[in-house]
Amino acid sequence: MSTAPENRPAQADAPARNVHSRGRRLASWQEHHRWSAAASLRRLAARPLGSVLTIAVMGLALALPLAFYLLLGNVQRLGDALGQNQAISVFLKPDQGAQQAKLLASQLGERPELAAVTLKTPQQGMDELAKMQGFSGALQTLGDNPLPWVLQLQPRSGTGAAALEQLVGEVRAMRGVDLVQDSGQWRQRLEALLDVGNRVVLIVASLLALAALLVVGNTVRVDIASRSEEIGVLLLIGASKAFVRRPYLYAGIWYGLFSGILAAALAVAIELALAQPVAHLSEAYQGRLHVGGLPLWLLLAVPLAAALLGWLGARLVSAWQLRQAA
Amino acid sequence: MFARFLEMRPVRHRQPHLAAGFPYPCGRHDDIQARGHAVIQFDQVSKRYEGGHEALSQLSFEVPDGEMAFVTGHSGAGKSTLLKLLGLIERPSHGVISMDGKKLSKIRASGVPKWRRRIGMVFQDHRLLMDRSVFANVELPLVIGSIARAERSRRVRAALEKVGLLAYERQLPATLSAGEQQRVGIARAIVARPALLIADEPTGNLDPQLALEIMGLFDEFQQVGTTVLVASHDLPLIKRMKKRVIVLDHGRLVADLAAQEVL
Repeated sequence: MSTAPENRPAQADAPARNVHSRGRRLASWQEHHRWSAAASLRRLAARPLGSVLTIAVMGLALALPLAFYLLLGNVQRLGDALGQNQAISVFLKPDQGAQQAKLLASQLGERPELAAVTLKTPQQGMDELAKMQGFSGALQTLGDNPLPWVLQLQPRSGTGAAALEQLVGEVRAMRGVDLVQDSGQWRQRLEALLDVGNRVVLIVASLLALAALLVVGNTVRVDIASRSEEIGVLLLIGASKAFVRRPYLYAGIWYGLFSGILAAALAVAIELALAQPVAHLSEAYQGRLHVGGLPLWLLLAVPLAAALLGWLGARLVSAWQLRQAA
Repeated sequence: MFARFLEMRPVRHRQPHLAAGFPYPCGRHDDIQARGHAVIQFDQVSKRYEGGHEALSQLSFEVPDGEMAFVTGHSGAGKSTLLKLLGLIERPSHGVISMDGKKLSKIRASGVPKWRRRIGMVFQDHRLLMDRSVFANVELPLVIGSIARAERSRRVRAALEKVGLLAYERQLPATLSAGEQQRVGIARAIVARPALLIADEPTGNLDPQLALEIMGLFDEFQQVGTTVLVASHDLPLIKRMKKRVIVLDHGRLVADLAAQEVL
């Protein structure tokens, strides 16, 4: 019953075994990846508690910078909203008349940093003073109106502190200007604080991303160490190192992806939790305040970035650890 | 004794065709037929381990394509080392090993996985993955070989059918007896239809009846064209099989008996 070598299906199989064809290689690559992705998901599901804890730790670590980012964005909006009341007052020299004042207002009105320029006559200034308690009697003693022409500059929303500072400097240097009173200096301080905050968020995000990377790396390290026997068997039956490593890389990707989704969900939850108190606050500011959410692109980018982070953590550890295990 | 063992486990359906030999009453003959050829040549092969111990010394022999041969000798004679050299688990210190004229020394580390996919290996301790089902264990070489899922499923079932364990495909190996676990190991070794099957003390942990049954499986694979090399020190079993026997002693070839010479 022995089969003669020449009758074996080796020759018949020859066309089918054209393993180097591009299509076959692609199909092989896809099959390996499909299998590895499914196998790594099954492994995660096989130990639900450990997987959930790892994902929770990573998710919280990634949610923190998102929460800070959300907070800073809203402080920025708050500053913008409050800043709408903060105009820059430009007092002209007493010898400047209506013509010069209107000319200056026209020039400043063309500046892109400004939303509006309002001209106040000396009489309007006097009327405002007269309305203030205690001034009406004193004003009657004055013979002439000593008040100058005043320009009220309203910065455009979103204009940075540096741009406003430059504007104030340029206005001060203008001919006929006596005094520039920037009542929005607090805005500059706020902007400076926000700059610091943004930097802190960046640093915290980097550190927490590193922590997430280490969490994935350590999880994969323990996983590989506990599966050294399996790895040995796989290598003995013809698995390449890339094949052995692939499920661990997918595990890193799954950890990252799921923790990124969790982080995005937590950020949205924080956003929703803030919505009602901010609505109350908004009423106090004539509806100018509203809670700003994280942009959709960021919410989508976080899981993808986290998956990349997970892959990187697994990649760094698995190469070294597999050498030890094998 | 084996019959009694079977009777003690009546809930499992056992495939009856194994003892019947060829033709298989179920399954397809070509599902386990070897692909390619395996003419093995050892030419003055020596293996010296670090520390100076010489496991093999100037070993020369040839195993023709499709032959089954036993490698025997006392403990430490070099049987396992010989098989390790074929599996590229170890490299020879001197000499040339070739299969179908291809020198194994030419195979670089990156080519070792591909080489191992051409051979099937059976181990004394089975080396099964205990957290995966019988089916998943047998499927592994086909996954590694990038066989499509439907084809994998068909071939795994055919291999399990050949070793009489199709009814156990969803079970974990730990729920099987030692003999059954060894059969799973054999199914895994032959599922990719290797041209060469090597087995290192495959019956070391089994009682004589189970051991004979396992050897019967190897005999059947030889009959479909697979070259089979079995390392064993079980002389009574080797005698019953009536196959070629290569005898080693302290790493040296001391006898090479043809099948008809084995009493």
